[in-house]
Amino acid sequence: MPSSTSSSESEPVILRPVPGLRWPRVAVAALLLAAVGLGAWEAYWRVAQHYEASYRNSDGQWAQVRRRVDAREANATVFIGSSRTLFDIDLDVWKEETGVHGIQLALEGSNPLPVLSDIANDEDFRGLLVVGITPPLLFLPGMGVRAGVIEYYYDETPSQRISTQLSYPLETTFAYYNIDTKLFTVLARQPWWPSRPNLPFQQPEVRKLEHMRRDRQADLWERVETDPEFHAIVTGTWQAILENLPPPPPEEVARAQFQALLDQVAGNVAKIRARGGEVVFIRPPSSDVFREVERKITPRERVWEPVVGAAGAVGVHFEDYPALSEVRTPEWSHIAAADKARWTRALVGILQKAMTERGVHRPEVGS
Amino acid sequence: MLFNSLTFIVFFAVVLALHNAPLPWKVKKTNLLLASYLFYAAWNPPFVILLWISTLLDWRVAKRIYAEERLSRRRAWVALSVLVNLGLLGYFKYGEFLLENWQLLMSAIGVAWTPPDWDIVLPVGISFYTFQTMAYSLDVYLRRAKPADSLLDFALFVTFFPQLVAGPIVRPTQLIPQFQKPVRASANQLLWGLGLMTLGLFEKIVIADGALAPAADAVFGAAKPVPFLDAWLGTLAFAGQIFSDFAGYSTVAIGVALCLGFSLPDNFRFPYAAIGFSDFWRRWHISLSTWLRDYLYIPLGGNRKGWHRTQVNLMVTMLLGGLWHGAAWTFVVWGGLHGFYLGVERFFQRQFGGAKIATTFGFKVFLALLTYFLVNLTWVFFRAPDFPTAWRMTRTMLGSGLDGSVPVLSTYLITVVVAVTVGILLVHGFMRNRRLEDVVASAPWWLVGSVWAAMLFLILIAQGSGDAFIYFQF
Repeated sequence: MPSSTSSSESEPVILRPVPGLRWPRVAVAALLLAAVGLGAWEAYWRVAQHYEASYRNSDGQWAQVRRRVDAREANATVFIGSSRTLFDIDLDVWKEETGVHGIQLALEGSNPLPVLSDIANDEDFRGLLVVGITPPLLFLPGMGVRAGVIEYYYDETPSQRISTQLSYPLETTFAYYNIDTKLFTVLARQPWWPSRPNLPFQQPEVRKLEHMRRDRQADLWERVETDPEFHAIVTGTWQAILENLPPPPPEEVARAQFQALLDQVAGNVAKIRARGGEVVFIRPPSSDVFREVERKITPRERVWEPVVGAAGAVGVHFEDYPALSEVRTPEWSHIAAADKARWTRALVGILQKAMTERGVHRPEVGS
Repeated sequence: MLFNSLTFIVFFAVVLALHNAPLPWKVKKTNLLLASYLFYAAWNPPFVILLWISTLLDWRVAKRIYAEERLSRRRAWVALSVLVNLGLLGYFKYGEFLLENWQLLMSAIGVAWTPPDWDIVLPVGISFYTFQTMAYSLDVYLRRAKPADSLLDFALFVTFFPQLVAGPIVRPTQLIPQFQKPVRASANQLLWGLGLMTLGLFEKIVIADGALAPAADAVFGAAKPVPFLDAWLGTLAFAGQIFSDFAGYSTVAIGVALCLGFSLPDNFRFPYAAIGFSDFWRRWHISLSTWLRDYLYIPLGGNRKGWHRTQVNLMVTMLLGGLWHGAAWTFVVWGGLHGFYLGVERFFQRQFGGAKIATTFGFKVFLALLTYFLVNLTWVFFRAPDFPTAWRMTRTMLGSGLDGSVPVLSTYLITVVVAVTVGILLVHGFMRNRRLEDVVASAPWWLVGSVWAAMLFLILIAQGSGDAFIYFQF
């Protein structure tokens, strides 16, 4: 701290100097140069990388969709799960088939159980909850990629809410304005960085995979299918993640944790039912390496069946229905955009039938 | 409302338009006051009530102090202001900390006691505006200032949105006179203000959040001990991050105020070029260090009561300065280390201050690097989430405790931290005895325009994460 011995004088008004330049000329030059740079950057992403403007799948956007559960759509159909539920469900087809515009709350790379708990504790919700299961994600130590989004929803400030609204026109105008194309994300991903000896595996960030609408309808980005190089990057990312999965906990610990998970699921489903709501589980398709690893580390009879059984709920597994398994999953984990309408239509029919057979009558799906 | 948010851009455009509209000065000031409340309410509307309490209390108290001749009454009134302001600060900021420590104390003497749940949200910036409004009552009490003539001017002084939540902490005599007569920024002031805003946002979005935060977060959040290299780079990253974050906020605040025609004082003067710790505190968070000097260190006796008492006063001031930053013992240790460094520096100055070597360039560079080294050791306690992490990091940085360490920084992060840290040190070294305004004035216009454009471009493509400024939590 300053070591003056006396400060009996009051602090005077300070008049800030302005550097003696012709500021209008400086400002115009700065604006023009920045505009040229930004134009070139935008052109690079559009022309060389084939990006197009799309909603950013931000926490603010999720919170906005989440609020629909609280407000006028207490009897809504809500989808939770991971990216498979996010990419595979076609909200428009769902509406065509059921008359209900679903609320898409699935979160990529995330365990759906915290969201299930959140919805179960939301006294406003009395509708149908569709829970998508990607078995390995149920065992994430935390929520996963989108950890913090529920906290964000409850703590969102008025300023953040307005910023989300102001961001939408920019998101749908600029292709570069995307989570995937942030300067430091792009820099970190360059291949020229040498690997560092002894650095433990660091899970790579997943590249842009989807084109998203404002209601969070997300289609698998066609470049994943059409650009072999980009396809290889995406599947290479999955491969790296799957080859470096953390070791499972000791058997006894795993058993206790899984029992706690089943109890949590059963308790949350019971809460929703007590209010007049209903819960169904779906297992969207995967293929190739993804499916092999999932079969190995989370076999159906040891994960899917117990979860659905604990919930006492209708469960639709893609392996049981040709209409749900005969779709293209270009990068092993998500349905091709062109196939999702057919898949969603088939899912609605199968769910209606399965629920009717179980005596579950829900106006949301016409069972 | 964050400066680095889209909401602020729209908000500021409206405020600027209203401030330049042909309206009476009183209406413009009212607009600024309402805008300031809106700026604060954009975080949490009910907390505006705290601003009103501070405003009305200190407005009344200062009037009473000024009118009162009896010393005991004057003391009672100023004590009321200090108690209420520090009471609010203590309740919201230190309540949980006090309860936790009381519980520890009780358990140490064998009393089992469980504190009640303390689920209180910390009002953003409460430490800043509490100190600012207290300065008003204290200045009137110390007869350094007269009470404001108008409640509107005083309310605007307490609430002025550019510096409301993270400083600079201004004194009443620096700001209230500026509200007394109509001001409007000239075209040059407006454009220079926008330039300062760009510089501040560049520091925050590009340097602090984009370049340095990932490395600092990785190192200080590591589950296992990290190697020597990672520990140092994580700490250097945090040193650069906290400077860029906080100085960035101050620079934006100064720029915003200037766009409206008001002048705020500097809060940073290239502190990583400091030679010694007295010099560091003349360059780092200047408005807080001078506040602590004027309202704590000097009232305690300053350096007027002998060598030993001076050391005690310094240490008390720095310990409380540390606690001001956060309700945790790690912040107290951070302040204590600075107090210790200041004491040691005074000792050496007394013993060897006249030595010829002290004036040589090479020795000054050595002292500057030593200061930077020691400052970095203090940042470990500032950033670490707890003492075990802080001790582990400190031991590693001093060359021990390396067993079982696991690296966390990629070559990308290492490269970025080294490049940015070297850049920051070079800039601070070059600017040590210069003012930004003088350097800009001596540069050709096209170079200034190009640098401005580059910062703007990098801000736009870095995109920002919308992260709050670090000092909001204080």
